[in-house]
Amino acid sequence: MQMPEPSQAIISQRDALAQGLRQIVGKDWVISDDAQRRPYQCDGITAYMAMPLLVVLPGCADEVQAVLRFCNEKGVKIVPRGSGTSLSGGALPLEDGVLLVTSRLCNVLAVDEHNRVARVQPGVPNIKITEAVSHLGLCYMPDPSSQLISTIGGNVAENAGGVHCLKYGVTANHILGMQAVLMTGEMVELGGAYLGAAEGELDLMGVLTGSEGLLAVVTEIAVRLEPVPEVARVISMSFPSVEEACACVGAIIGVGVIPAGLEFMDRKVLDAVSVLIKEKFDDRTAALLLCELDGTAVEVDALVGVVSDVARAQGAIELKVSTTEEERQRIWSSRKLAFSAIGKLCPDYYCTDGTIPRNKLPEVLNKMADMSKKYGLDYANCFHAGDGNLHPIIMYDAAKPGDLEKAEEFGADVLIACVDAGGVLSGEHGIGVEKRDLMTHQFTEIDLQQQQMVKCAFDPKDLLNPGKMFPTLCRCAEFGRMHVHNGNLRFADIPRF
Amino acid sequence: MTDTQTIASMRPATTQDVADILMDAASKGEPLVVRGNGTRVGLGNPVAATRVLELGGLDQIDFYDPDDLVIRAGVGATLDNLEQVLAEKGQYLPFEPPRYAGLYGTNGARSTLGGAVSTALSGPRRILTGAVRDFVLGVEGVNGQGDVFKAGGRTMKNVTGYDISKLVTGANGTLAALTMLTIKVLPAPRAEVTLVLPAATLEEDVALFARMRALPLGIGGLVRRVNAAGVCEVLVRVEGTVPGVAGNQQVLNGLLGARGGMVVLEQAQSHALWAGVRELDCLNAKPDELVWRVNLPATTMPTFVEQARKAGCINRFFVDWAGGVVFSTMRGVQPEVDTLRYRKMAEKAGARATILRAPDAVRAQFGAFPPVSAGVAALAARTRTAFDPAGILNPGRMTVQA
Repeated sequence: MQMPEPSQAIISQRDALAQGLRQIVGKDWVISDDAQRRPYQCDGITAYMAMPLLVVLPGCADEVQAVLRFCNEKGVKIVPRGSGTSLSGGALPLEDGVLLVTSRLCNVLAVDEHNRVARVQPGVPNIKITEAVSHLGLCYMPDPSSQLISTIGGNVAENAGGVHCLKYGVTANHILGMQAVLMTGEMVELGGAYLGAAEGELDLMGVLTGSEGLLAVVTEIAVRLEPVPEVARVISMSFPSVEEACACVGAIIGVGVIPAGLEFMDRKVLDAVSVLIKEKFDDRTAALLLCELDGTAVEVDALVGVVSDVARAQGAIELKVSTTEEERQRIWSSRKLAFSAIGKLCPDYYCTDGTIPRNKLPEVLNKMADMSKKYGLDYANCFHAGDGNLHPIIMYDAAKPGDLEKAEEFGADVLIACVDAGGVLSGEHGIGVEKRDLMTHQFTEIDLQQQQMVKCAFDPKDLLNPGKMFPTLCRCAEFGRMHVHNGNLRFADIPRF
Repeated sequence: MTDTQTIASMRPATTQDVADILMDAASKGEPLVVRGNGTRVGLGNPVAATRVLELGGLDQIDFYDPDDLVIRAGVGATLDNLEQVLAEKGQYLPFEPPRYAGLYGTNGARSTLGGAVSTALSGPRRILTGAVRDFVLGVEGVNGQGDVFKAGGRTMKNVTGYDISKLVTGANGTLAALTMLTIKVLPAPRAEVTLVLPAATLEEDVALFARMRALPLGIGGLVRRVNAAGVCEVLVRVEGTVPGVAGNQQVLNGLLGARGGMVVLEQAQSHALWAGVRELDCLNAKPDELVWRVNLPATTMPTFVEQARKAGCINRFFVDWAGGVVFSTMRGVQPEVDTLRYRKMAEKAGARATILRAPDAVRAQFGAFPPVSAGVAALAARTRTAFDPAGILNPGRMTVQA
């Protein structure tokens, strides 16, 4: 994985830049010494590391504006970062770039109970929004598994999903408005604090959501709040084969039920988990589905009946339905512990998030088994089946020479198989640096060019988070002048990193 | 109410034909009106162009995968056709797209999917299921240089590149001539009833809406309107499974019972009622009246409506989206004066006032869509240039040219 060549000219100005930034945010909020910068070297992907030129923690939106304006004038790159939980290297620092950390922008600014909207700063951890409104019987629905730590700003940048987005949608479906600062320091207000506030002009908020910090730095977000479902029950369904479990996913949705969550775990995951939860799974079980249903008590009871019938018809050998909240939590604990359980089986693991049409699950899972043989690496599967969002866990040992590279190649092969099955490279983690070089497998040169033109409209100097998402840097100037017809590979000889 | 002096139409049947037409137009710098079948032809600002690119011929369904809740179709596929195909599998378009054919005096049976996505009009169910933008998974289109591009995909979750699908939704054909759309669909609710009760004051009704929405009762429509008999009433649509709806209806009976006079409309009646609500039938807009939509926070709606009525800017009106949108008519006596006053009033209330129907001259002068800040306008203009550098795709449809 290669990043753009750092500018020595910028690096040589480090002290002067630090001084300029301290005048904006105060002396305590610019980190320049090695020891304190070190924790910021990587995000959720520890395999990729770089020491940021400087770390800046602005305390308000005005300071964000001033920092961006300052860096824009000096030609210094910016990498925005929330809590650093990105699983695609979206917040990987640049050696010649300032890491702009939103941790101090951590206030829930206002809660409008009657219109069911909360205005929050980007550094607020996802879970804090729900905590701030739970006394009103409301919640913020998107719940990425990182929600205890990951910030709403990061969730917006990656258009985060979560277990419950099958029924309730992803981050983009829950944002009503935002305040964002462009690289020039210009602030824009998009949408507002009510439904339809953004209509009548281009959906710039829509394109900012999921733009991985390449277009603007979001400084305030208006999110929709929802009533907390009255009841939630989970059904644990065991299947004797992976194919039958996969078929059951389509059958449940085909019968007209949209579960709140529908998760898949294979035998390897179950074996790893059973050590932690001290519970044995039936020997015949090759795969387990967890299906959560929520709503009013009457509605949920009816749906539990429907789903149980479908599962039996699809060959389920054992069904367990939670009857109390405690039972529900216990059944879910197997899924919640899955990744840490796998972590105990191997020194390192690598997990991607390619997403496929649900009916292609068996086909792609079979291909994964072949790939495992090819690379000689073990793997396990634990994923959001209802969305077709795969999370193959590839086990390797970073201490073994070549193992990381093999794991990366295995991961890339899985993603290519996803795209070939009609799916996409990323369902919820984003492209970042991790999947960047695979973008040409999903998109044509023209598709990518069109996307990069959008980048030019927001950040023509390519200073915001460059080197992420696209396999080549943006060339705004060329786009303006040149036009090549369909199919011709443009800039065939430019460097790709 | 047509675009100014259009004289010739082109009706391509393939994406490649669209690309050829646009490459040719781009080379000449010739502006084009881009539309589906032109059934919402009075929406947005008039476009000064002499040729029309009509995409209604791209009407094939590419695939429909009910178990995966996804359908892919040409932009010219009619909403009627799609809804019928989906209904055969018990599914539907969750954003309940209005046709507004009655408003524009066109044939709603010809309203297209591309038109629904490009205008981003969402029906009464938006408060429960979401807006058009929430269901556009992937797009294929041709930009203003004649390049065919695709974006998004067909999966429910996707963070692979910028969300161009959202950007083109509601862009009114100013970014690209869309050719193919991949849409997320949902199982249609098995049961539906509507509770009709007498209206109280606007404040009381909005407060009632808020109380109902604070509970997870599957309420997919909350409207306050004047019915055909001239009676002011509140409509509550409850949807879900058969036992779920029955249970939620009981909860609502407890909440609403104090008002008295409740009438329950069962499935078929309820269905027909909301089809009319979706089309703004209860506005009963006269041919010489202007028609407006104002989006605003529900809690500020009562004061806004009261002031606008006093000022003579609202003639008849009804309230949808649990109080978050006001549809109204305006007398066509002095449209320029009243338009300016109504817009100002909306702006003061932090609302967005869109003209759904008005004479060409009014829309050309004031813009069908409310103005945005200079910074947002400039960013949107740069974004348009990124797709259409020559400015040939519906130029001025969304923005009033300075």
